[in-house]
Amino acid sequence: MSDMVTRTVRLTAPPDTVDTVHDLLDALWPSVPDVSARDRMSLDTAIIELAANVIQHANRGKPITATLTVIAFPDRIEVTLSDSGEVEEIDIDGRFMPAPDELAESGRGIALMKALVDTVEHRRVDGFNHWTLVREREQVRQPDAPPRHLPSVSISGIIDEMARQRALEEMGILDSPPEDRFDRVTRLAKQLFGVGGAKINLIDGDRQWAKSTAGYGDEVVPRDKAVCAVTIEDDRTLVVQDLLADPLLADRGVPGAVEFYAGHPLQAPGGERIGALCVYDGKPRQFSEREKEMLRDLADWVQQELTASHELSRAAEVQQGLLPQSLISMPGWDIAGMCLPARAVGGDFYDWYPVGEGAAITLADTMGKGIGSAIIAATVRAVLRSAARFGDVAGAVDLAAASLNADLDTIGLFVTLLHGRLDMDSGEFTYVDAGHGLTVVARRDGTIERLRSHTPPLGVDLETEWQSHSVILNPGDVLVTASDGLLDLYDGTLDALDKIGALALLASTSAEVTDAVRARARGVAPDDVTVVVVRRDG
Amino acid sequence: MDISVTTHSNGITELGVSGRLNMVTAARVRDAIQTAVDDNRGRVAVDLSGVVFLDSSGLGALIAGLKTAREAGGDVRLVRPTEQVELVLDLTNMGSVLKSFDSVESAYPHE
Repeated sequence: MSDMVTRTVRLTAPPDTVDTVHDLLDALWPSVPDVSARDRMSLDTAIIELAANVIQHANRGKPITATLTVIAFPDRIEVTLSDSGEVEEIDIDGRFMPAPDELAESGRGIALMKALVDTVEHRRVDGFNHWTLVREREQVRQPDAPPRHLPSVSISGIIDEMARQRALEEMGILDSPPEDRFDRVTRLAKQLFGVGGAKINLIDGDRQWAKSTAGYGDEVVPRDKAVCAVTIEDDRTLVVQDLLADPLLADRGVPGAVEFYAGHPLQAPGGERIGALCVYDGKPRQFSEREKEMLRDLADWVQQELTASHELSRAAEVQQGLLPQSLISMPGWDIAGMCLPARAVGGDFYDWYPVGEGAAITLADTMGKGIGSAIIAATVRAVLRSAARFGDVAGAVDLAAASLNADLDTIGLFVTLLHGRLDMDSGEFTYVDAGHGLTVVARRDGTIERLRSHTPPLGVDLETEWQSHSVILNPGDVLVTASDGLLDLYDGTLDALDKIGALALLASTSAEVTDAVRARARGVAPDDVTVVVVRRDG
Repeated sequence: MDISVTTHSNGITELGVSGRLNMVTAARVRDAIQTAVDDNRGRVAVDLSGVVFLDSSGLGALIAGLKTAREAGGDVRLVRPTEQVELVLDLTNMGSVLKSFDSVESAYPHE
């Protein structure tokens, strides 16, 4: 282990060129012990050929991002270049050196690489190209031996590291300001274990960055001096009673400051170990099984906070603009809505806005998943909003359907929705239910009426005649409409709607109902959950 | 990368190239040889003693220059290639076509 040197750098071309790679290599070699001039020259040449090939061809002239990792083992040096380029079938075995008298001006790159190192491999994993070069070091290789196909030993580790780094960056937490929800955990950990310091550390490239620190400790530590960088290699708790006495970890200890260490890894939503919650002290000490358990529980807590912030931050980008920004003023009425996406982005939305002597209210659910659904949801909202200014409810849905049908048909999506208008004075709610069927009216006397769907979803049938229906909401009545994600929070059947309706009758405000659903959905909902509650004061 | 141009009294154009001869700089070397061929009779000596790195793109530029020079009845000869340049010439078998010499004088001894 101690003779192994790893360096990873990122480049983006343009503006980076092969000269950037040259400079990186010039800076790298002095840190590799005993690399011979011939090894260095051969690897430099092979790596530049590889980088030039990737920059020139792999992305058809579009910008490309790549990560170059060099791992020097005592007997061999392995290099992996991972790039974001498109798939390109490269027949490495079939590339031979052109004959000299042909005077070909190109076509030598891959053949030259093959002549310089023992292994040239290309793998496509998870949308990335991974190129691996392996060269056995001169100290151990036979002079003038032909290239041997040595399997790389580190490729899987590099891919893991790539996935880890990407997961960490996607969370958008690096270099963010301190947050009390994390600081609470480190403060508690420090007190609970009676140690000098506690940190939430994230391992980012070649550094460790602390999201939260209680007690003493540096915000940034080089990765090769960080104990948490070792903790993330495994999914178990790492406890080192006396760091300075540990043959493998002594150089990561700090006399009088970090002599004791206990840390538990933290995972990204995809399971990648991105950092650790750790406690440390200036003197060696014991750490009991019970304490390990407590540390693990605290780490789980941190992880939940990390996951929540990740999902919300990404969902927010798409959906913040979709949801009504402010309450509308409707004396005698109380409206609340919530939309909790299960994943990064969701296809649900709800909306309301004043129209005449009342409000237009929409709840829609785009079938399908991911960003495509979210984009369609945004489009549906925009089209309905502009259509609502002309004509009646059925006319608005008709206009929306007509303008969306072509799009929906092309991408094979459809949208279920409830779109209606509430007359504030009479309590009449006129609506079109396009394949939605998840709306109930809970009457003051406790009876629950389901509003039936009369027409198919948008995007199914171009010939649909949109018909509106209406229901009267009397004082004390509550209308609840939801997306099908709500059903999954209960028994998966429509009975869930009756339960929510009954709950709505018991609640004193509409927001109480949406808060209750939000609390139930958080962390467990397999699908987007959206609910709108409209109650008439009684 | 730098290129210096010296025209000798016997009509040989000496190009002194230093730095990295790669994808980034190849076109300049190709152009410099082209200019030398246009201005003189195409007898070019490329002094590579200052080239710290040559890759297949740089080699491609030298080969392109060689073709241009030969069409004009001249040649491209290499002077004092560094170890890394020799390695590339060797592995690509181009050393037999792009020949190396110790000096400009020995590259074109009878001129």
